[in-house]
Amino acid sequence: MSRTKHVITVIVLSLLGVTMLVALNKIPNQFEYANSISQHIVNNAVKETGSLNFVTAILYDYRAYDSLGESTIIFGAVSGIVLLLSRKTLPVSSHGLSFIVKRTFGMLTPFIFLFSIYIITHGHLSPGGGFQGGVILGAISIIFSIVYGSEFDYKRYTPTTKTLLETGGALLFIGLGFLGILFGGNFLMNMRFLNMGEGSLISAGSIPFINTVIGFKIGAGLAIIFYSMIQKTFKEGVDL
Amino acid sequence: MVILKYLLLIFLIMTAFLAINFKEVLVSIIFLSIFSIILTTLYLIHNAPDVALAEAVIGAGLNTAIFMSVISQVREGKNSIFREDD
Repeated sequence: MSRTKHVITVIVLSLLGVTMLVALNKIPNQFEYANSISQHIVNNAVKETGSLNFVTAILYDYRAYDSLGESTIIFGAVSGIVLLLSRKTLPVSSHGLSFIVKRTFGMLTPFIFLFSIYIITHGHLSPGGGFQGGVILGAISIIFSIVYGSEFDYKRYTPTTKTLLETGGALLFIGLGFLGILFGGNFLMNMRFLNMGEGSLISAGSIPFINTVIGFKIGAGLAIIFYSMIQKTFKEGVDL
Repeated sequence: MVILKYLLLIFLIMTAFLAINFKEVLVSIIFLSIFSIILTTLYLIHNAPDVALAEAVIGAGLNTAIFMSVISQVREGKNSIFREDD
């Protein structure tokens, strides 16, 4: 029985591999991109958006609408996970880790926070951006839950704060999009306001603002996901 | 640099194979985390620091934490699927 299963698996996987190789062969040659959109972006991205990091320029300027879709997906995932896991059972104690780990992370966590803020705000100058920095922000909440116990996380960084940050981030992102219409352009257009020259921190128009908003939104969303997965690990007797 | 690249690719395949084939789930998660770190280095070698940062943070950090919490709850909880029937 298991032998026939193995044979079927091998046949299906090899068929998939052949299909993928054929599809890979259909991709146009690199030299056919000479006058295409990617060449246009490489040549004109700094002039048109003011962002030195082309990846961020594409994500939050040329294709900002796609980023809005991505953050909507994360919003849906957070809503679904909270809806599914919101029952309160399984009282398992959670005191956190030992004293040494607690002290070490007490010294380390401010620097992790600073690093995430650096990645978010310098998204248009150096590698990184709102999404990556936001995930590091979410990791701080995970550190709180694992090292200090989920009760600490509940008291210091309450679910209300997380929800406010997430919904506020999403609303501000859409608000920045409508600001583009208000300034006489399209939805999520880069208005190029507050420009202090290429390479400075305040440049590239609305890209740093969208980065900040998305960073806090993603960080709070991932913190909500992790928190709702371990929220049942409270001590017995602590009522919520 | 080319030798390093191929060495890393071999290690990538090895860690993926071990992550699938280990019986102990905890060891599989650790191998998945190592897989992510090797993939991060490969992205950096191929000049894609943005993707490397995302892979390091999500693959090695967030995934491991979430999988660990799920594994600990599945093992220790009242509704544990590993609980022996009495």
